[in-house]
Amino acid sequence: MTGNPYQSHDARILEVKDLTPREKLFTLRFIDPEINESFTFKPGQFVIVDVRGFGEFPISLCSSPTRKGYIQLCIRKVGRMTKFVHKMKEGDVVGIRGPYGNGFPMENMEGSNLILVAGGLGMAPLRSVLWYTLDTGKYEHVWLLYGTKAYEDILFRDEIIHLLKHGETMNCTVKMAYEIESPSCIYLERGFSERVCRGVVTDLFRGESFDIENSYALICGPPIMYRFVIRELLNRKLSPGRIYMTLERRMRCGVGKCGHCVVGTSVSMKYICRDGPVFTYWDALATRGLI
Amino acid sequence: MRYVKLPSENFGEFFNFLQRLGPTYGPVKEGKTHHFREVKGVSEMDLNYTRTMLPPKKFFVRPRERLFRLENGWWKEEDGERPFVLFGVHACDIHGLKILDKVYLSDPVDPYYSKRRQNAFIVGISCMPDEYCFCKSLGTHFAMDGFDLFLHELPDGWLVRIGSVRGHEVAWENEKLFEEVTDEDLRHFKEFEEKRANAFQKEIPQEGLADMLDLAYNSPVWKDYAEKCLACGNCNMVCPTCRCYEVCDSWVDAYSSVRERRYDSCFMESHGLVAGGHNFRPTRLDRFRHRYYCKSYFDPSSGFNCVGCGRWDEFCPAGIEHVKVLEEVRGSLR
Ligand SMILES: Cc1cc2nc3c(=O)[nH]c(=O)nc-3n(C[C@H](O)[C@H](O)[C@H](O)COP(=O)(O)OP(=O)(O)OC[C@H]3O[C@@H](n4cnc5c(N)ncnc54)[C@H](O)[C@@H]3O)c2cc1C
Ligand code: SF4
Ligand code: SF4
Ligand code: FES
Repeated sequence: MTGNPYQSHDARILEVKDLTPREKLFTLRFIDPEINESFTFKPGQFVIVDVRGFGEFPISLCSSPTRKGYIQLCIRKVGRMTKFVHKMKEGDVVGIRGPYGNGFPMENMEGSNLILVAGGLGMAPLRSVLWYTLDTGKYEHVWLLYGTKAYEDILFRDEIIHLLKHGETMNCTVKMAYEIESPSCIYLERGFSERVCRGVVTDLFRGESFDIENSYALICGPPIMYRFVIRELLNRKLSPGRIYMTLERRMRCGVGKCGHCVVGTSVSMKYICRDGPVFTYWDALATRGLI
Repeated sequence: MRYVKLPSENFGEFFNFLQRLGPTYGPVKEGKTHHFREVKGVSEMDLNYTRTMLPPKKFFVRPRERLFRLENGWWKEEDGERPFVLFGVHACDIHGLKILDKVYLSDPVDPYYSKRRQNAFIVGISCMPDEYCFCKSLGTHFAMDGFDLFLHELPDGWLVRIGSVRGHEVAWENEKLFEEVTDEDLRHFKEFEEKRANAFQKEIPQEGLADMLDLAYNSPVWKDYAEKCLACGNCNMVCPTCRCYEVCDSWVDAYSSVRERRYDSCFMESHGLVAGGHNFRPTRLDRFRHRYYCKSYFDPSSGFNCVGCGRWDEFCPAGIEHVKVLEEVRGSLR
């Protein structure tokens, strides 16, 4: 897209779906058919949603580039802008600019095992990865280890339950940990005793043996989750260069100008929006302040 | 490089010609400080200044500027930028603009900045350092490019370095105002530069600095200074390479809205704040240190992000001196 990089493109909301009391899934299509056709992205990239006259905010793409003609965004209601967007209905129009960031190196990882570790809203970018792997079928085996608070908070619940049931036929193992007990959770745990448990996401590593030499881990979740998950992966001897994580910062421009997402010191400065949001654990070791 | 001489008696006429290129901004003394202001004649300027309070970045990234205006639900780009002349810019500030170029002209190009950059005719001018300047130690005391014309003071006029085709065209059009450079002029030029080189009182020893600072991440010196700092953000405003901006939409009336950006400062708590109240730089220590790291970042392709203009030291109300902090932090490693 040439011209003014801060100009957003009109996109119509095709569908709004309540995922949880806090999160909604928006399906959008660019009004300009040419943009709709040419818009492509990598899992892990994000867009900036522009509500003209009110503000902008960054959101990960949670659909897969293998599904053309629409994009999906999973938006949690947390503040001024996200509250505003939650009031929008099918047929409404918002501005979208992007895609931004580096995304996951999906091509480099072809033929390997992927261990996806998601905590809470971190499920959004990893859903894009998950769909991509299932659609392309180019990956050896995919694990999704998902940690959630309670049954009501499970994002993409239908999809998760579907994969709990049928994932193995697609070389995909889904495991889920929940923190707050409820009849629905216990019901799920009974049905899939091997794969659903009460606890935190690191508990899901137990009893699992990955072919670590041939694996990559992709992590997304709240900041505190990273430390524990990374420790678990390092114990299993996964190289820091094969651990990918997506990070979050305050962002205004998304294109390396406004300076808000800058991290690092005198020897290493990174823009999360441009050099990330996907980084390896090695990057984090080499750049102070990354995680 | 092409060199010509502008004799003192032609200076006024040359300046009058420049005014035809567009509004001309030059250093004007107001009270104790200097500022780039629109000027109509040579006499309004004080060309013996050391530094203006705001660097010339204010002409390219405005303290507050409109990006878009809402029209029928669609953003319309604000424009209306005209050619202008920036007269009397010092070498360090030219280097400052080059650092901003790396940010704003890298892909994707910022159209507002790039338009103004193309519209600007930049005339550099030689200077003598005061007690705050340390550009020499950073190699930013001399500009080899980034200007159209650069004037070096001679006893009887100016030695002019021509830095661009446009500069060349302007000199050409005013051929009768210029003379060939003589050997004596060159001697004066050399003497001036030598005198200047010896006049610096401050320096940052660059060698190994980036690495030492990184190693000194936990140095108690950061903390001592962070406690002195008032977090006023002055140093960000006056810095020729600070470029953080905040974006804000606002309504002009019930039907029209504008999107504006304005200078932001990493000393503000909001700089690293995200939804849910999480702050990636929660303490003043984090923010103070971040500012130093951002300025001292050594980019393998372009060097330091600091040009040694001395504005921080002159305008910090807490009397914090950039060079001194860095020296103490480095010293604390021993
Ligand atoms: C790369 C990236 C991907 C993201 N993906 C998602 C996603 O898929 N789903 C989702 O729900 N949220 C996501 N977020 C977080 C989302 O951008 C914030 O929740 C949102 O900006 C909050 O805006 P607000 O106005 O509702 O909140 P307020 O708290 O009212 O925010 C005030 C201002 O701060 C800024 N801000 C606040 N939090 C953030 C933040 N975390 N990141 C950047 N700017 C912020 C906003 O621009 C806003 O204008 C992502 C953030 C980043 C950086
Ligand atoms: S982060 Fe701070 S020091 Fe760096 S450019 Fe922005 S305001 Fe200046
Ligand atoms: S000008 Fe001085 S007091 Fe103000 S924020 Fe900068 S260092 Fe702190
Ligand atoms: S979001 Fe503006 S620089 Fe990264």
